[in-house]
Amino acid sequence: MRILVCVKRVPAPGARINVTADGQAVDAAHLGFTTSPHEECALEEAVQITERLGGEVTVMTLGPAAAEEQLRYAASVGAHRFVLVPITEVDWDPQRTAAALADAIGDLEAADGPFDLVLFGNESADAGGFQVGVRVAHALGRPIVNGIKGIDVGGDPEAQSSETGDVPEGQVAARREIDGGFEVYRVPMPAVLGVKEGINLPRYPTMKGRLASKKAEVAVDERTAEAGGQGRVRLHRPEEQVSETVILGTGPEAAPAVVDLLEELGVFQ
Amino acid sequence: MGISKIWVYGEATEAGATAGTLELLTKARSLADTVEVVMAGDAAAVAAELGAHGATTVHTVGDLAGSLPGTRVASAIAAAVAAGTGPDVLLATTSYDGRDVAGRLSAKVDRPVLTNVVDLVADGDRLLGSEPVFGGTTDVLTGFTDGGLAIFLVRPKSFAAEESGGGPAAVAELAAGDLGNTGTAVVKDRFVEESTGPKLDEAAVVVSGGRGLGEADKYEMIETLAKLVKGAPGASRAVVDAGWVPYSYQVGQTGKVVKPTVYLACGISGATQHLVGMKGSANIVAINKDEEAPIFGVADLGIVGDVHKVLPKLIEALQARG
Repeated sequence: MRILVCVKRVPAPGARINVTADGQAVDAAHLGFTTSPHEECALEEAVQITERLGGEVTVMTLGPAAAEEQLRYAASVGAHRFVLVPITEVDWDPQRTAAALADAIGDLEAADGPFDLVLFGNESADAGGFQVGVRVAHALGRPIVNGIKGIDVGGDPEAQSSETGDVPEGQVAARREIDGGFEVYRVPMPAVLGVKEGINLPRYPTMKGRLASKKAEVAVDERTAEAGGQGRVRLHRPEEQVSETVILGTGPEAAPAVVDLLEELGVFQ
Repeated sequence: MGISKIWVYGEATEAGATAGTLELLTKARSLADTVEVVMAGDAAAVAAELGAHGATTVHTVGDLAGSLPGTRVASAIAAAVAAGTGPDVLLATTSYDGRDVAGRLSAKVDRPVLTNVVDLVADGDRLLGSEPVFGGTTDVLTGFTDGGLAIFLVRPKSFAAEESGGGPAAVAELAAGDLGNTGTAVVKDRFVEESTGPKLDEAAVVVSGGRGLGEADKYEMIETLAKLVKGAPGASRAVVDAGWVPYSYQVGQTGKVVKPTVYLACGISGATQHLVGMKGSANIVAINKDEEAPIFGVADLGIVGDVHKVLPKLIEALQARG
């Protein structure tokens, strides 16, 4: 199996985001960065698949030079090859990102053969555009299914075949989350999948992994692409939403007040 | 002049059109002269409901035959746009299928998509979308820099659905056009998870638990409380990451966005990631032992106290009520 995982360096989700004094950008001075959570799961899934079936996981990121940190992290949890597509701007729009990634993937495949699977996170944790994966799939002419919470590759003895039936070689079964349940898709490989958080619990890097990751070789692949056609009209800072919290009390004796409130709001009707 | 034609991507279940679809129709009719729906499946079944919310025509690509909705619907819209019969604006809800449609359409017609939109503003003959960025501290107003199809993915519950009093919408067939290789994924099975209570993003009351509960077993108190108030149990990302409850319970930026009548946050400190998912709730009640916790910054009512002591008392009081 040859698997490519595309990841993005994003501000740590849950961090308090400060905005620069002019309100035009994120103030990154005190901000931690991480791999976008959906993609961390995509990476874990890819590593698990190659641990069972053999093969190689390549991780690609388009981002600032500092995104090398995310590639080294990928090395520490078991990925094999690393490609940084460097940009000097803060971020590229989805069209531009996808065009550059598709070009870079095309060249990698021309040299070493096609990837059976290209995995993306369902959406990045910062921009949340849901666009890059589907655009790359279209550019490569491959099927894509998004919202994936389970992947069974044909021929994998540990495929959770009870839910999907036996998956033929050369195909992949993908569980897609839908409202109130899930669907299972059969997709011929090579294919592109958008993975969602919750598909697995990503491992923590081992000390050995961390040490090895320092020596990992990161290929730098510069790309150019045209910006897409969307423009910022203006930024607006809404009034900071500060509500007056009425403290009902401290400790257990305040509990009945909550019941009264629920009653008042008609919750029990 | 204003915007002439908006298409709303319509989604329906056996119970009828989804709330998101009706919300978008309601907003669309205040923005454009012509509002129509494009969808897959049985349009006749929902034509009356869609008409009552402002759609004059429902275009359907027919049965999906196991493919993802995005492949057929996006390809049909792209074909209509190429033929000059398409819309100026396509609105879709940020749902599983809405994202699929918008993403594929964007790639097909090579136009950007504005995502995470929470408000739509007319600006002459173009439409601008407002999205929260930087962790919800700032709204950014974005427009398309050139003419052509404008695609917006709008978060559910951004607008209130209201009937227009219109009659049933006309049903029209729309050809799906060339699907290409990207549509070779086909559905094999569908599973519906058993669920007893109301759904997290539809419940009138949401009871959420956070790290303050201390350990996995204590989450049971949240389930019990949720049942007593006929609500849905939710959780913060920390609790989901710790493996106490499945990801489907997660409220927040990378989980579900909820807007219940009452949101009861128990032992949740209120990280931005969580606040983004629940601060639109009508009444927020927080129980936390740390009175400085950020959750009190958005809460309407609060109890400063240890959840281990307050929750059993609350459960008792609710049970006593009968």
